[in-house]
Amino acid sequence: MSLIVIGVNHKTAPVEIREKLAFNSKESIKEGLRYLMNNHAINEALIFSTCNRVEIYAYHSGSSNTEKTIEGKKNIEEIIIDFLSNFHRIDRREFINYLYIYKEKEAVEHLFKVTSSLDSMIVGEPQITGQVKEAYELALSERTTSLIFNHLMNRAFFTAKRVRNETRIGENPVSVSYAAVGLIKKVFDELSKKSVLLVGAGEMAELAIRHLIGSGVNNIYVTNRTYERAKELSKEFNGKAVSFENLKEQLIKVDIVICSTGAPHYVINEKMIREVMLSRKHKPIFLIDISVPRNIDPACNNLDNVYLYNIDDLQDVVDSNILERRKEAEKALGIVCEETEKFFQWLNSLDSVPVIVSIRNKAEIIRQEEVEKFKSKFKDLPPELLNSIDYLTHSIINKIMHEPTVALKNNSDTKEILIFAARRLFGIDHEEE
Amino acid sequence: MGTIFFELALTLYFAGFLLSIAGIVRKKQDLDKAVLVCSLSGFILHSIYLALRYLKSAQAPVFSMHEANSFFAWSILFISFFIFFRNKAKILNFIIILSFAFMFVSAFFPRTIPSIKPELKSIWIDIHALMAVFGIALFSLAFIFSILYLIQERAIKAKKFGGLESIIPNLEVLDKINYHLIFWGFPIYTIALIVGFAKYISLLGFLFDPKEIWSFLTWIVYLSIFYLRVKGDWRKKRAAYLTIFAFLLIIFGFFGINLLTESFHKPL
Repeated sequence: MSLIVIGVNHKTAPVEIREKLAFNSKESIKEGLRYLMNNHAINEALIFSTCNRVEIYAYHSGSSNTEKTIEGKKNIEEIIIDFLSNFHRIDRREFINYLYIYKEKEAVEHLFKVTSSLDSMIVGEPQITGQVKEAYELALSERTTSLIFNHLMNRAFFTAKRVRNETRIGENPVSVSYAAVGLIKKVFDELSKKSVLLVGAGEMAELAIRHLIGSGVNNIYVTNRTYERAKELSKEFNGKAVSFENLKEQLIKVDIVICSTGAPHYVINEKMIREVMLSRKHKPIFLIDISVPRNIDPACNNLDNVYLYNIDDLQDVVDSNILERRKEAEKALGIVCEETEKFFQWLNSLDSVPVIVSIRNKAEIIRQEEVEKFKSKFKDLPPELLNSIDYLTHSIINKIMHEPTVALKNNSDTKEILIFAARRLFGIDHEEE
Repeated sequence: MGTIFFELALTLYFAGFLLSIAGIVRKKQDLDKAVLVCSLSGFILHSIYLALRYLKSAQAPVFSMHEANSFFAWSILFISFFIFFRNKAKILNFIIILSFAFMFVSAFFPRTIPSIKPELKSIWIDIHALMAVFGIALFSLAFIFSILYLIQERAIKAKKFGGLESIIPNLEVLDKINYHLIFWGFPIYTIALIVGFAKYISLLGFLFDPKEIWSFLTWIVYLSIFYLRVKGDWRKKRAAYLTIFAFLLIIFGFFGINLLTESFHKPL
């Protein structure tokens, strides 16, 4: 019985390697799965490929059927590495040093960590669980998973859910532009009714605008020293360009200002905002200054209903969120360990010997009970007869139990399924969740 | 009679109270559903209790300390459900604490139906008392939301997070709720005062009673808040401070005057 994962991720391999090993479409994953399952040593398989990682999960029951030994002799690790190299047509020496290989408990733990977004570049980012789900659905559609992987994946999603519900890992944003949106949402309610003014340009400012659009803002104004540039940018966001001379009038109208110009001095000073606030009847305004040197006078934050955040403030928020996430990640690891343990308990329950023993015990107990009942009812019967009844029932049980015992002991592809079924059929399930 | 409904409501409020405290201490909102279930079911039972009492006594259930506190607890919950379902603002956990507190106080006072002087037995006195308590309930919620507003505002200004502000709604919602509370609270309170004054004068002539004077003072403060709010040109933070101040006046009127002075208004 063995579970294995082989893969590369953003921590172990540079993008040049990851892109060579990546399965870029659903089709290529399906093809990969088929290719992989051609090898009979592998009973169940799953391919997980995103831009940050490529992982092959495989399970083989270690069966000793003769037809399989030919390839089974090869180590399962080798089979997967060969597969990667053959399928992607690259020399194994190119990537072998970047691979990580986890087996058994470590493999399960790794999968649970990946699914719960503890192994992600940005810990706690929520997309990964969905991506794993997609990968699992592909494997399902290709029928490359069975009893073990179906249960394993189920537990992985359950673990991810627990991590999400029981820790605060995904709660606070850890990128500057997301953090800005988060702060804005602390002040304003319905962003779809708010307007934003972009002063200047810049990658981070544009990113923040995009996040705001994603949160529902659709009233966007753009201004720039050169009007042409403003026009260009406004097209990008479906906004309106306004001339830089009208900055003050514009400030009276909008709710959110993102400032990012190359100016070496304050573009927006305290006096200006003071006047603006008077004109806007103190309606709250949120100012974000991501320019270095700063473009908005920090004194503006002292005015009532003016909320000013500069790049350092945002970075502080992000840093404390990252710290928070790290703390939460430790809690999450505890959950992962717990769930890994549970999964192995389940896996061990699929060992044939204890199952056979408990079925036989159960049968024996029933037999004895029934015989006792019979004996107490017919006390007058001669003891020889009673003894032969004992003997008779015993041999009936043995005869009935013979076939199932052989089937359960037999190392075949379906061994785990049979054991699983036997536990159900004879009602000896315990601590199975 | 019907006192079982009171006990059950109190118990459910207590459960809601404990759940809210657990949520607030851990700064999580995962118990909010349970809080809603507890407070809503408690509220329904509480409503039945009040209705039964009203039917039995044929007078508004607000004339003893037991009744006033219990009706007050009922009112703030009633208003909160309204806010909760209208604004989708997660605020019940803060309110149920207050509701439970008043319910708890109410439980300590005798539950007998108060006998009021025959000359005061009138629909107008009922209206006066009901509206006064309901108006004060609106003001007390404005007080709570003003405090929440200040907590949230301070966190954003100081750029320090990780405190209570994470489970408090955003400033705009808080301010909007505050506005509505004052917008409804002020006229209701005004009508209550006018009806009360009119009845008072018709019974006793024009005399000065400490409670009446105090109520009038508070009314002036609320009038200014109302005016400034409705006019729109107002710094929200100052509005919040003034709302808190005004409510402290009210509380003094509600309890202090009754206990410290020989007012005509002393609970019967």
